[in-house]
Amino acid sequence: MARVDVRDEVCPRPALLVRDALETVNADELLIVRGDFPPAKRNLKRLCSNHGFGVTERSAPDGEFELQIKPTGTDTAMEAPNEDG
Amino acid sequence: MKTDEALALTEMVERHGCSCKLDESSLEELLKETSLPATTAHERTIGEDAAVRRLSDERFLVSTVDFFTPILDDPYEFGQIVACNAASDAFATGATESLDCLVTLGLPAGHATIAPKILEGMSDALAQMGGTITGGHTIVSPWPFAGGAITATTTREQLLRTDGASPGEQLYCTKPQGIQPAMGAARIKDPPLVDQLTAAVDRPIDAIRDDAVAWMTTPNATAANAIAPLATAATDVTGFGLAGAGRSIATQAGVGLAIEHLPVIESTPALAELFGAGLRTGETAETSGGLLFSVPPGERAAVESALGEAGVFYRPVGHVTDGDGVVFDDPTIEQISY
Repeated sequence: MARVDVRDEVCPRPALLVRDALETVNADELLIVRGDFPPAKRNLKRLCSNHGFGVTERSAPDGEFELQIKPTGTDTAMEAPNEDG
Repeated sequence: MKTDEALALTEMVERHGCSCKLDESSLEELLKETSLPATTAHERTIGEDAAVRRLSDERFLVSTVDFFTPILDDPYEFGQIVACNAASDAFATGATESLDCLVTLGLPAGHATIAPKILEGMSDALAQMGGTITGGHTIVSPWPFAGGAITATTTREQLLRTDGASPGEQLYCTKPQGIQPAMGAARIKDPPLVDQLTAAVDRPIDAIRDDAVAWMTTPNATAANAIAPLATAATDVTGFGLAGAGRSIATQAGVGLAIEHLPVIESTPALAELFGAGLRTGETAETSGGLLFSVPPGERAAVESALGEAGVFYRPVGHVTDGDGVVFDDPTIEQISY
């Protein structure tokens, strides 16, 4: 499981940093993204949706968000024990 | 680590231009909680682009205020954009005469030297629109911002509103979308990320940025004068994007809007795709965007002729429907070079 921290980053940088990280992730590996800029969460989810990546929101401290991305496109929800909601 | 003095304007803020605005749902909640009076001595107030006060049977005073954080680093260009954006709310109401601007300016401590350049940009842009700076107020603020309180006048015939659209009417816009991805790309400076940008688009990022600045510094006054006698509803496209501007007309008029064609700044679809930005669904913040307006089918030729003669860019973008809200019906994308 790889991680990328985009806290203190504002759009469009989080999307570019996540794309950079996805380049190094194996097809069956998960990428965990931690951020704190609300528009970035929305854009990252749209980015994943556009590419058919699986994305699940996980619990995160107040004021932050955490996304679990699976580049192969399957829904990652079943593999995310601490997901939100 | 840069010192404060070396920071560029856009590095002093987290959100840039109209994307610094409070989001639409939070603003609606705030308005609900504050219980502002539904009727006043004004002709129109909350929910419109500007407040309208009747001065006489034929003369109306329009007032509005708008301010935001830097969307680029050049203080002169920032001033131009600020003035065009602030005055645009008056223009969207059809008011282009007797244009005055009271400046609202906030600058971090130690950065007051930027002020004259911002004011020069605002003053030059207002002069281009037939307006002038008549005063203002400046504060020390952790985040720099600039804007203005605008007053202008108009006649009954020229007065534009958001609530007059009817099903079957044609929708137009007067600027392409894509300011947010264009300016977002221009703020990326570190080499690995710049490489992603240059691989995604087939022209220089600076050229895309220059197109965006050219659109943002194009005042909406000429467009407003051309459409005012013919349009049934109008608003300007700003922080809530084309979708938000459309929702304003849809809600006020009790109609639906179907967006079928989307003019965008050349190369911004590729940037939006890279950033995950909602350009194709009208969700990108459009700083100093164009007018979105409706005309009856019988007035299409007249409004297109008026805009053409005035040298104003325009595109038909969709129709007013008997539904509700704004639907982006898989719009065709047209890439526009300034």
